[in-house]
Amino acid sequence: MSERILSRNRALLRFIALPMIFLTVALLGGLRVSAEDRVFVFVAPPLVTLVLATLLMLLFVRGRLIDLKAWLTSARPALENGAHALTLLALFFASAQAFNSVLPERGLLFWLFSFFFLWTLWNNQFATFDAKRLLRSLAVLFGTAFVLKHMLLATLYAPEGGWLKRIAGVLLEGVSLGTLDAQAFAPATGYISFFTLALYVAGLVLLPRAPEKEEAGELQRQFPQTDETTIISNSTTD
Amino acid sequence: MQHRLIQSVGVAWTLLYAVFIIWIYATEPRTFKEVAAGAEIAAGTYQIDKEKFATALQLFRQEKFRAARDEWSRADPQQQDALTQFYIAYAFYREGWGRVYNDDALFRQGLEAVNRAINLDGALKVDDADLQMHTPAELKAELEQGAERSVDDLNPLRVLRQRK
Repeated sequence: MSERILSRNRALLRFIALPMIFLTVALLGGLRVSAEDRVFVFVAPPLVTLVLATLLMLLFVRGRLIDLKAWLTSARPALENGAHALTLLALFFASAQAFNSVLPERGLLFWLFSFFFLWTLWNNQFATFDAKRLLRSLAVLFGTAFVLKHMLLATLYAPEGGWLKRIAGVLLEGVSLGTLDAQAFAPATGYISFFTLALYVAGLVLLPRAPEKEEAGELQRQFPQTDETTIISNSTTD
Repeated sequence: MQHRLIQSVGVAWTLLYAVFIIWIYATEPRTFKEVAAGAEIAAGTYQIDKEKFATALQLFRQEKFRAARDEWSRADPQQQDALTQFYIAYAFYREGWGRVYNDDALFRQGLEAVNRAINLDGALKVDDADLQMHTPAELKAELEQGAERSVDDLNPLRVLRQRK
């Protein structure tokens, strides 16, 4: 494959595919399917998910999953910077919606899950991370929350569940003095959430840490008076 | 040059998709059908089902008000047509009207429908010889009067009034 094709494909990924992936996550993260009449229910991201997404973005920068200075730099044209800013904004909202997808909708469990997420993300701010470890840690974090919400809790609160499940659900409600208040959704909700999380993790895997040298070459062609090494060093040390 | 084109397309497409997502969360459609209908409204191509509207009008004239309302609801599922909403309100009025007393619940629903009609088209005028009120404002006043409780409710001469 020639360098030109490689460069074009990378641009397609960065400017079109990645924003699409993250925006699709943002769209599906709040989508539930009602258990009673099987209609769509759109849950807007609660405020706490925006806080969690902010912490996660900080973690991405700290864990070197995103080199912010290389993504947004004055050495690049405004259009490219704008496109990069949109991709990062899409990533922020995708993160918020990914949390929204695995958080219970209300009640004590919502606050418990939120607290554990906050605790984990806050602790991680002070840990040493590389991008690979961060991705693995995130996959486990979202995976655990998914299993708890969409498999364990959904089974306990399923309206068509057997008597044993219903007893367990009632007991759990009794022990928590009725503060759990979990909402039952159709099984399709779990599938949507799984697809959303898979797409989110895939997006993170595809996300380049910093725009590649090919683009620097493109810049060199656009601004011949600028030295390529200056562009690269500017983009990493700005 | 090619990169710039990809960037421009990417920015435009991302912004469009983002607007679509905001619109979805703002309107909260319940089915794919509602998504399509909502998109039609946004694009200005929304149209009511004229056949269902005509069937509903026939039912209305036969004094089958509930069936008429049901049919009108199907003709205008997004409640975006002022005329249909006016007729729905009129059906609530006629069904709720009583010589001795009015059905307050039906009148309240009629008020909701007539308010929708006013919001959609404040200057609506309906040329229908079968009706005695031809504007949403007249209908709204009648529904409000009917839903209010006053000393006039005790007037025995009320039994002589006519349904409009």
